[in-house]
Amino acid sequence: MGNVFLQTLRKNSLLLLILILAIIASIAVSITPPLILQYIIDSLVSGAFSTYPLMAAGVLYFTLNAGSGLVDAFKETLITIFGQKITHDLRSAMCRRLDDLPASYFVNHEAGAVTSLLVNDVDTLENLFDSGVVSMIADIFTIFSILAVVFHLSPGLGALICICLPLLFLLTRYFQKRMLQAQRDNRIAVSRTNELIPETVHNIRTIHTCQQERYMRQRYGRTIRDSFEAMERSNFCDSIYSPIIITSCTVIICLMMSLSVSSPSLQELFGMTVGSVVALIAYVRRIFSPLESIGMEIQNIQSAVAGIGRLKDFFAEPVQEKNGTMEPDPAATPLVIGDAAFGYGKEADIFHHFTLIVEAGEMVTITGRTGAGKSTLFKLILGLYRPRQGQVRVFGCDPSRMAAPLRRQVFGYVEQQFHAIHGTVADQISLKDPRVTPEAIEKALHLVGLWDTCHALPQGLATPYKPEFFSRGQGQLLSIARAVVMDPQILLFDEITANLDSLTESQILQALQAVAQNRTVLSISHRLYESQGGRRIVIGDP
Amino acid sequence: MKRLGPGSVRYYFYHEKKLLLIVTLSGILYNVGMIAAPWFDGQLAQCLYDIFAGNRTAADMYVLCLSYALVILGVQSSRYVKRLYVRKFANNISLSMKDILYQHLVQTPKRDMEQADTGALMTKVISDIDTCVEGMRKFTTEIFDTGIVMVTYVVMIAWYDWRLTLCVLVFPPIAYALANSLRRTVAMTAARSKESSGALSGMTLDRISNAMTYRVYGEEAVQDQRYEDYLTDYEKKMILANLWENALQPIYKVIAMIGTILVIWSGGHNVLGTGWETWDIAAFSTYLTCFIRLATKSSHAAKLFNAIQKAQVSWLRIQPHLRAASTLPRTVPPAAPAYLTVRHLSFTYPGSDVPIFQDLSFSARPGDIIGITGPVASGKSTLGLAFLCENPHGGQILFGTQELGNGHTSPKGIAGYCGHDAELFAGTIEENIRLGKGGDIIPVLNAVCMDQDCASFPDGIRTLIGEGGQRLSGGQQARIALARTLFHPRPLLILDDPFAAVDMATERAIYSHLRRDCKDRIILLISHRLTLFPMLDQIIWLNGDGSSIAATHEELYVSCHAYRKLYDLQHAQGGGSHG
Repeated sequence: MGNVFLQTLRKNSLLLLILILAIIASIAVSITPPLILQYIIDSLVSGAFSTYPLMAAGVLYFTLNAGSGLVDAFKETLITIFGQKITHDLRSAMCRRLDDLPASYFVNHEAGAVTSLLVNDVDTLENLFDSGVVSMIADIFTIFSILAVVFHLSPGLGALICICLPLLFLLTRYFQKRMLQAQRDNRIAVSRTNELIPETVHNIRTIHTCQQERYMRQRYGRTIRDSFEAMERSNFCDSIYSPIIITSCTVIICLMMSLSVSSPSLQELFGMTVGSVVALIAYVRRIFSPLESIGMEIQNIQSAVAGIGRLKDFFAEPVQEKNGTMEPDPAATPLVIGDAAFGYGKEADIFHHFTLIVEAGEMVTITGRTGAGKSTLFKLILGLYRPRQGQVRVFGCDPSRMAAPLRRQVFGYVEQQFHAIHGTVADQISLKDPRVTPEAIEKALHLVGLWDTCHALPQGLATPYKPEFFSRGQGQLLSIARAVVMDPQILLFDEITANLDSLTESQILQALQAVAQNRTVLSISHRLYESQGGRRIVIGDP
Repeated sequence: MKRLGPGSVRYYFYHEKKLLLIVTLSGILYNVGMIAAPWFDGQLAQCLYDIFAGNRTAADMYVLCLSYALVILGVQSSRYVKRLYVRKFANNISLSMKDILYQHLVQTPKRDMEQADTGALMTKVISDIDTCVEGMRKFTTEIFDTGIVMVTYVVMIAWYDWRLTLCVLVFPPIAYALANSLRRTVAMTAARSKESSGALSGMTLDRISNAMTYRVYGEEAVQDQRYEDYLTDYEKKMILANLWENALQPIYKVIAMIGTILVIWSGGHNVLGTGWETWDIAAFSTYLTCFIRLATKSSHAAKLFNAIQKAQVSWLRIQPHLRAASTLPRTVPPAAPAYLTVRHLSFTYPGSDVPIFQDLSFSARPGDIIGITGPVASGKSTLGLAFLCENPHGGQILFGTQELGNGHTSPKGIAGYCGHDAELFAGTIEENIRLGKGGDIIPVLNAVCMDQDCASFPDGIRTLIGEGGQRLSGGQQARIALARTLFHPRPLLILDDPFAAVDMATERAIYSHLRRDCKDRIILLISHRLTLFPMLDQIIWLNGDGSSIAATHEELYVSCHAYRKLYDLQHAQGGGSHG
């Protein structure tokens, strides 16, 4: 992960330089206007001020004041661009990493959690960068610059601020922490509230027949109360913080003024002129806003640290060997499994000494009791896992090292359930592969008998896919179309008619008959065996 | 006058009128007090000038400083009160809106829920409430913090020099007009970046959840390339949205601040005694500070309108739901046992013209258990649901003398239901059975043979069962659902396949408990497993083509070939569980 970071920095070093300049400029611009004001007022007091210098000072004051906003905007935009570059590169790297992770990673990690890694955790990293580290550095420099100017104008005020600043900073952190806690509690309560809604919808029949609407309202009421109370706590902090800071500013100003007139020696210490009073008041008011920001930035950094930890773990996951470039030999035997043994992770072997040779055009049905490893065997054939012992060869090549672009011409794989992807109906079949032509899609759909259904959709095949368009059985037909669209040599069917009613099942068996012509077929399904015959292989103890 | 209902914004403002009064008083106090700081700042400079000139003493400065500190303390206290109460106000509204909305949700008929994705819709509506309330809060805040404070500043500076004020006030409206004209662009780029962010999340989830599919087919590289396109698009749109959002504010500020040149030039002349008015240093300083604050405020005004607009949009989305809300209905007490008579019952799904079943007649006495069975997809569950009258049916269902459904008597308090789906809540076993009803739950736990299961859990009946009861086995879920149905007694019980995931011995035990405990109830037992059927009082066989037969087990076994075949098949497998 550190590599990605450094690479991005190196690639965008010019941008980084401009960013640093912009930060310096923004600090400079933000601290000069009070100095000009001081000059104007002191000149006015002395009475020696004519029209043109007055005009010039006015224009300069305006330019700096107005310009500070523009420079700030420029700085913010640069920070955003930088943050975006880093997250872009990081996400790209993570996506490429997905290709190298073993199949077991996807089995052991929930898709939602991994997605949140790529979406939310990378976002917090971006926060760490732009509203965390960079802004914090800028804010700290702003505070020090203001302090330097203040010390120069009035050492007494400088000392006064140095005493108050840490106290007020602690106060700020105290309130921010309390608010964060309250907000966290609120978020927890809100997410519980949100869980109650789908639950209510799902269980509405029970609620109605048991007539427990009142109870449900109370139950919901409790969680929204929690959120209400958390908000009240956060509101208290939110309301009182800013008044305290402003009152403190005023007290500091009053203290400064009172001390500076109390004795000549103190007056020297405070170094007051009429103009510097106005300037110093402006500085006192300015020094607290970066203070508040620093508090927030510390928070951002803290919350990002957890995210970074998770990202590091992701990059530390063991990877498997890169997909190879082996090419299958069409003349070789479609499938040879020799004395294979396999088990997941550290578990015991699921099967061992398993040997199977399938000739071209053969139809083989694998049977065995639950857990004997029928589906696992398919995963070995597909190269998702490698056997512990023995070997698996598909057209003479190790399936886990087969060149990726050739896979669809070798394998067609249909599972118990159709897994829809994000996209149109046509994308379900092509998997967005540009090599799959519209004609091939049409042919595949005709083959499984789904052309008319798809064609009748509002935008035909270009209709964005929605699960409600297709019944479970039709989903399986889509799966079959996806499997055969690039004309593979071997078809693997894993219990594809499980959980279907008999009418749909017969439809699917019909489609299978159509696609099985001239292909090597392996299946885990009694019904297919009953209707099509072929060879039967038992895996595990019979 | 029209009564204000929860479907009107004013209802909520009216409801919180006490809080609003506090907000108004403290808001006016604070915002008028806002001019104190610039005035005092000017006075401090002036006082110092006078002390240097020998016109005043240090004591004057002490008094000035003390009164400054005290005034600011007062002003900031009222600010605190205002901020706190405006937030309380918003929080209260959010609470009552959510409550009203939930009451509406919980009363929505099952039929209506099936039509739309109600869960997602409602979750969205609730997040809309937060946006809307936030808008209401900002609106209330800004009436004071922008409206009143700006008027105060204008009056203040006009009092110092009305001619200069007229000149410098030209600029803030220009800034405001510009802000208004660019608002749409900002909103559009923001919306686009949001869209792109949503698309990216969708793609990420797709890439990961279908990772195995892509790997099997060797399509991972294709997907990575696509993902890269989405990333580039996202980067571009985010930067653009940020640029607009960051750049606008300073541009308004530049325009609004042009007036400062005039203030320094003309104000300087005032101090030097060659201008429109005669000023001292205090006046100069106060005027300049007030004007800068005014200009900054006016550049914020655009933000206020954005917030209000957002609130309006979300209000329009939640308003129909709030308007439709009504208070919860009275609970109907459980009805007394009575005879059930079903005459020529038929059911057709809305939008279809093929009846699922038709011309079904039978009757039952309290204490009867009637079995309902038939081949797969013959409408067994649909028949059970007909008694809940969620959709209109053909023919008549009479409970005693009352006709159920079709606009007659509601089955509330008459029909109890335990469906295929256990419909459990994330909570404890006890909460799931009670649903807020008092009494002893041990008898029903015993009746469904859950007592031993519960004893084996560390927390007993207080065991948390997880979302949808997922921490329990299927059989345990089904039995808890059955226990809940029994705990809320109704004279007519519809049990849809309650024994599907229960072993044979438990099934028999529960059956005997039902016989023992439900002597005055009618039970319709829907099942694909026929083990118990010889003991039932009557069987309804659905043929699957709409026709049906109601008879005893013995009669059906003799007369109905399909029933006999099914029964024998299961019997041959030892009463098998494959159905």
